[in-house]
Amino acid sequence: MDYKATIKPFILSNFLFTDDDAAVADDTSLIRGGIVDSTGILELIEFIESAYDIRVAPEEMVPANFDTIDSIGLFLGRKAGGRQ
Amino acid sequence: MTTLAGRLLATAARMPSAAAVSDGGCRADYATLAASAKRFAGLLQGHGVRAGDRVAVMLPNRYEAVVACYGCWLAGAVVVPLNAQASRRELSAWLAHCEPVVVLVESGSAEAEAAVAAAASGACVLRLPQQRAPAWPDSCDRLESGAAGAGDLAMILYTSGTSGAPKGVALAHANLLANVDAVVEDIGLAADDCTVSVLPFYYAYGASVLHTHLSVGAHVVLEANLVFPHLVVETLAREAATGFSGVPSTFALLVERGVLEGRALPQLRYLTQAGGAMTVALATRLRALLPGVRLHVMYGQTEATARLASVPPARLDDKPGSAGRAIRGVGLQVRDEDGEPVPAGVEGEVWATGPGIMRGYWRDPAATALVLRDGWLRTGDVGRIDDEGYLFLAGRRSDMIKTGAHRVHPLDVEEALLEHPGIEQVAVAGVADGLLGQVVKAWVVARSPGLDENAVRAHCRGRLAPWKIPRDVDFVSALPRTASGKVRRASLAGPVNLETAP
Repeated sequence: MDYKATIKPFILSNFLFTDDDAAVADDTSLIRGGIVDSTGILELIEFIESAYDIRVAPEEMVPANFDTIDSIGLFLGRKAGGRQ
Repeated sequence: MTTLAGRLLATAARMPSAAAVSDGGCRADYATLAASAKRFAGLLQGHGVRAGDRVAVMLPNRYEAVVACYGCWLAGAVVVPLNAQASRRELSAWLAHCEPVVVLVESGSAEAEAAVAAAASGACVLRLPQQRAPAWPDSCDRLESGAAGAGDLAMILYTSGTSGAPKGVALAHANLLANVDAVVEDIGLAADDCTVSVLPFYYAYGASVLHTHLSVGAHVVLEANLVFPHLVVETLAREAATGFSGVPSTFALLVERGVLEGRALPQLRYLTQAGGAMTVALATRLRALLPGVRLHVMYGQTEATARLASVPPARLDDKPGSAGRAIRGVGLQVRDEDGEPVPAGVEGEVWATGPGIMRGYWRDPAATALVLRDGWLRTGDVGRIDDEGYLFLAGRRSDMIKTGAHRVHPLDVEEALLEHPGIEQVAVAGVADGLLGQVVKAWVVARSPGLDENAVRAHCRGRLAPWKIPRDVDFVSALPRTASGKVRRASLAGPVNLETAP
């Protein structure tokens, strides 16, 4: 599944207030650049949990899984793989 | 010892292998930190930096930001730490105002590069890779004597980004040293302390946490941000940290997310809280989660270097809501509209004096004259002092918004919004928020129908730092104004809960 196709529009509209695809690259650090802050990360995780009907465990809430659109896509791919 | 940099060199000679700063995988002892700072000082001199020249440091909290700060001081330069997440518009205003000879940026920072190109084209730009660079800087320039004296300027901290009038708080070495020593004494810091630092160095509170700990030979462990609060608690446990400092929203995050529950932090012995009023309820929950850990509730201002007052932990329960009593060297008074002191218990404006009071606003004698009088600083805060000298704040005279660890001047946001062709009038104020204290809200009179909230925020996104972008946008047909035509921000924001610490 192309998770990025769902995640990116959410990040664009909720954190960058735009539908311009060029506003953030898939490998841009969302945290370093301040696009996602400590309240934004919870909104993002809530969105992912309801969109894909999964639970993100506390130990999974780390920069390696959530720092870029690419890494979120890979993380969701691994979650789906682990469930099968 | 007349400067913090001189003290760092003495500490490095006395205890060279003690841990000074840890940043991810990089751990620098005092000898390494001092040697790196000397190399950076030599590098600056090699680029023509002379005593009193400004050096802008546009870095997130990382080891090299500490090296750069002490390196500037060893070269006799004035360090200007700028918020690396600010927009090019804000950065440009600060750069144009402080005219740096050298600018230090992180590579790949498009906003910083654009600001330098626009506002500091004559400056020498040093670029630091995003990856940690423990051996940085790689310089063989010899450090010539450039040591600053206590009275020389050490640092400029910008508190407002309005393009018309950036406010740069100019602090001398003597200001920093005096405030560091008073805070060290108040908290009781020593060389065996270790703190985990999440507060940015380009704000007075974060700078105070850094320099107080380094001045006693303690260990400062950097955590880049609070996006994942449980990682901060893991770092506290792993490093056996003895202390932790935060603003109210820092502690609200730790408490609300439940990351402190069931965590054994046996080494932790003190917390410090400043940067706005923490509710009694939050302080009570925090203390219940960390029994035996002393909570130091503190109050201060950038214009006073950092701290002015502190509540001794033993008095938290019998002085609920107090901002504290004056720390060493500080005098506090409450005065009336004419600047005359009022009796204990009477409300008025808080004035402060002491060795930490700034030299003034950089290159702005008019703004300086408004707040500095006969060695006293008008804080703009309203409050009363009880008969034991404890200060109780009742609000602010100015409209400054405190959101998380950030200060936002409504004018900064209004100015950016008015650049949108569809906006005719605008007012910005802080509204209460459970986690962040306040969030930014804008009331907009649109020139044409069809302007929506996201378009307004998207416009801000390109002009303002993320935390200045209005969380709420209300479209209104007119703004409430006083008889003289001034917007009444206070009536827009509604009543504000100004309950302070426990």
